[in-house]
Amino acid sequence: MKKRWISLILAFSLFAAAISGCAKESADSETENGQETSQEEDSQGKKTFVFGDTTFNAENGEPDLNPHRDNSGWACMRYGVGETLFKFSDAMEIEPWLAKSYENVDELTWTVTLQDDVYFTSGRHMDGEAVKECLEALVENHERARGDLSISEITAEGQTVTIKTEVPVPALMNYLADPYGIIIDMEAGVTEDGNVSATGPYKAVSVETDKGVELVKNEDYWNGEPKIDEITVKTISDGDTLTMALQSGEIDAAYGMPYASYPLFENDGYTFSSCATSRVFFGAMNYKSEITSDPAVREAIILGIDKESFVETLLDGNGYPAVGVYPDSFTFGGDAVTEDSYDPEKAKQVLEEAGWVDTDGDGIREKDGKDLNLRWLTYPSRQEQPLLAESAQSTLKDIGINVEINNTADHNSIRTDTDAWDIYVSAIVTAPTGDPEYFFTYCCLDSSTQNVGYYHSDKLEELAAQMAQTFDTEKRGELAVQMQQTILDDNAYVFCSHLRMSMIAKASVTGLVAHPCDYYEITVDLDIAE
Amino acid sequence: MSEKTASVTVRRQIVRKDHTKGKMIFFGVLVLLLLLMTIFAEYICPYDPNQQNLDQALQSPGFAHPFGTDRYGRDMLSRVIIGSQTSIFSALVLVAIITVVGTVIGMICGYAGGVIDSVVMRISDICLAFPGLVFALAIAAILNGGVQNAVIALAAISWPKYSRIARSQTLSVKNTEYIAAARLAGSGSFGIVVRHVLPNIVGSILVTAMLDIGTMMMEIAGLSFLGLGAQPPTAEWGSMMSGGRSMLQTYPWVVLTPGLAIFISVVLFNLLGDTIRDYMDPRNSRRG
Amino acid sequence: MKKYMIKRLLLLIPILFGITFLSFAMMRVAGSDAVLQRVDASGVMLSEEVIQEQREELGLDKPFLVQYGNWLVRFLQGDLGESYISGNDVFDEFVSKLPATLLLTLTSILLTVVISIPLGILSAVKQNRFTDYLIRVCSFIGNSLPNFFVALVLMYVFAIRLGAFPVISENLSIESAALPTLTLAIAMSAKYLRQVRAAVLEELSKPYVVGAKARGIRFSVTLWKSVLRASFVTIFTLLAMSIGSLLGGTAIVESIFMWDGVGKLAVDAINMRDYPMIQAYVVWMALIYVVVNLITDLSYCFLDPRIRLGGEKV
Repeated sequence: MKKRWISLILAFSLFAAAISGCAKESADSETENGQETSQEEDSQGKKTFVFGDTTFNAENGEPDLNPHRDNSGWACMRYGVGETLFKFSDAMEIEPWLAKSYENVDELTWTVTLQDDVYFTSGRHMDGEAVKECLEALVENHERARGDLSISEITAEGQTVTIKTEVPVPALMNYLADPYGIIIDMEAGVTEDGNVSATGPYKAVSVETDKGVELVKNEDYWNGEPKIDEITVKTISDGDTLTMALQSGEIDAAYGMPYASYPLFENDGYTFSSCATSRVFFGAMNYKSEITSDPAVREAIILGIDKESFVETLLDGNGYPAVGVYPDSFTFGGDAVTEDSYDPEKAKQVLEEAGWVDTDGDGIREKDGKDLNLRWLTYPSRQEQPLLAESAQSTLKDIGINVEINNTADHNSIRTDTDAWDIYVSAIVTAPTGDPEYFFTYCCLDSSTQNVGYYHSDKLEELAAQMAQTFDTEKRGELAVQMQQTILDDNAYVFCSHLRMSMIAKASVTGLVAHPCDYYEITVDLDIAE
Repeated sequence: MSEKTASVTVRRQIVRKDHTKGKMIFFGVLVLLLLLMTIFAEYICPYDPNQQNLDQALQSPGFAHPFGTDRYGRDMLSRVIIGSQTSIFSALVLVAIITVVGTVIGMICGYAGGVIDSVVMRISDICLAFPGLVFALAIAAILNGGVQNAVIALAAISWPKYSRIARSQTLSVKNTEYIAAARLAGSGSFGIVVRHVLPNIVGSILVTAMLDIGTMMMEIAGLSFLGLGAQPPTAEWGSMMSGGRSMLQTYPWVVLTPGLAIFISVVLFNLLGDTIRDYMDPRNSRRG
Repeated sequence: MKKYMIKRLLLLIPILFGITFLSFAMMRVAGSDAVLQRVDASGVMLSEEVIQEQREELGLDKPFLVQYGNWLVRFLQGDLGESYISGNDVFDEFVSKLPATLLLTLTSILLTVVISIPLGILSAVKQNRFTDYLIRVCSFIGNSLPNFFVALVLMYVFAIRLGAFPVISENLSIESAALPTLTLAIAMSAKYLRQVRAAVLEELSKPYVVGAKARGIRFSVTLWKSVLRASFVTIFTLLAMSIGSLLGGTAIVESIFMWDGVGKLAVDAINMRDYPMIQAYVVWMALIYVVVNLITDLSYCFLDPRIRLGGEKV
């Protein structure tokens, strides 16, 4: 008996020792690295900056910095590593960046002239050949870019690049400003861990999926002098941890903070930089459903949602009530279109006239013995959506519509079943490249993949066909206004609010400015007072 | 200290039964009150628990709202009272199902042994090892959302815990002298299990079950992101707590009020469970 | 004994088949796939052709049984495939998370045992006195608070107010393990000390304790030699299950403390429908429970020699 005991204890202690041994080993090696860097900083008095971010992870399609992979270009651009040929102005119009200018030779041909003295961090000169190699690799590896750009041939000569497309692509230059269009040195290639050699103010020295990036200053940056010596970007996926890391001072700035934490930083110790993005929270009506195929019901829903209060109270002002597809910052966005605002009395009247009356006194209207039940499908991964659902549930109940919320991470499979929902509320970026065509192409046309509610409009189809052939930016904007007005007049969608993106930083941080496209975070302007 | 305590403990057992009975009635009444509050929740709520009032959002506890308001301006006290219906009932049903099913299976395996034991225990290994989330996703897809389906999903993956406890205890009771004596006296297997095994293991099962009530309230809330569990505007304690998570520093009452409700019900059910255990203890009745 | 162990370990094969097939099937039932989930997470829409292309790349266009068959063939060759989300080798990625999970399991189980056994015994010995009530109330508090709440309060108090620990844990050090360990141990101790209390009470009222007293054996000797040994069967069963679930990771605690373990990996994989990663996790869980439950069953024989397993002579 005693022997058994002893052997049992021995076995256990061996197991324990083995575990703690291997854990310690890896801990030791990592600690050493960690200490080295921090000591270096101390002894040489370098300027350092720590950025906490929720988005740099594989789930988000950002496993590394390689712009030719998924959405990794976002990380590459946000952290100041890569740059594109064109960039977006505050009004989301394209401006030269790595390119000096462009010319639209004919419907299928474009020439782009590059800046003269730009060098990759690998030391290579960025010339036409380098851009050609990069774009060829892009369309080979990135399915979305291939589809967007429809490139048939690229030729390079000195500092000019000529691009030929298979079909007319009026928004080609906008697409090249998408983060996937970051110009990287293909001779240096993409490292095993997904690092690249690009032209930005900072270069990455280590990339760890789901954990973060270590950046150092690019000494030879072409467009000014970066002010920080070393930057650490840390992936902090939990919002409350992010909050406390900024409170404790372990990070200098944060992206993706939960709204509920904002009051903690609304004081002199911190600064906010916010702006409206084209990410919109909107509901798509199901035209195959008995309820939402009724135009009166659709109109009443739009009249019955109190966007202002939702934004002011529930989002604590961290959003903008939406009118149409695009926010105010776009030339064709905001008040360029008109839509009914919250008016419960009118909503009741509309329903009344259409025959929806509450006969049994339970507060819910019926017609032909059928209750006015609205099945509201949404998902919880964006903090605004459950709030919107619950707020709309309350205001719609006041006008006699009973809202049944189905808030589930499983929405992808449910939304394909048009018998299972009446309104699908989701969030999408409506103009990732500043061009209006994208939203309609993906969401509202007969050919759209995301036209979940099977909306159809002859007028819209016609306008869309026109837009596909229009190269003039101003005319495209006019068409975008007409197209938005068409879907609004049909009450096919309800656009509730635009996301207000915020970065919160310690007061000592300057030059960290939120941009409507959500692509630019760490730039050459970033600085931190000692 | 030890010798004295032992003698005290032994002596006290003789008179313990009367004390125990009194205490059991006392805690029983408290639990009954809790259940009555649950049943008549609609009439007790000072405000309509679902009435939103955005002007009143996130008011700190005060005269009008003793526990403050949530971000929709709803009265927290009323939400907690009405929330007891979903939380307490679903947790009780869930715990009852897994306790009974798990215990029965565990006792059968422990007592019968052999092939039955091997097969059922390997099935329970699979259930324990199987990620609950995968199962919950499948349930959500087949049966859709709702509290009852959350209960089904959790029951299907939680029973093995009880069957393992019941089995281990049955194993250690099975070979004692008095079971052998009972077998010699001609009792059938079923009779032995019910009369001799069950009373000996009910104590630790009951303690585990009562402790699980609080855990299960949070587990039910944990599935709400799959649409399993209560959907708005239904109030439910676990979701109220996890929904208010980020407000812990800024508006703590939104998290603490449902937390307090869970704590109180956990305490009541556990104390009642303890006294029932003491009362049913076979050694007590032998002496009493 | 040896024969019994070999037999139990052989059972691993059907369990692995069963559980991997089951999880494959259930993920299918759950709907959606890695491509759609990825589109969703980024908010960037893709055309139908691109979606189809990506599906083909991952083999998601093939029939269900073919997909499982392909997975199984590779698995039997010792290849767990590549993640659908990160594209990394599943085995490497999974194994890289194990040290963190193993360390946290060890520390939190140790702390739980250190807290709950003495307090549980104390609570039982002082039954229905002030100490007992105090310990019980503490255990109710620990039991009714969800993990995230305990974690956030600990982080707030120790990292922000006292500045004793960092919010962001950089690596596997004792310093960064302290708070997650405490979070897990609080919840578990709350359960265990009640179990210890109940088990000790049960034993204390048995005739042999009284007999020992009559024979003049010191109570502390009886307590340590007999009472605790007998209580260990229940406690051991529970501990084994806790170890099993801890080795499966604790997603919420891991994500709050940025502890890089398998729990968050698994939840992310399931949410993103990363089938190869889910399968790796399921295989790991099956291994754990088969081994842990085998050890528990064997330990019954050590703890209580009267117990015989599986009708075999041990």
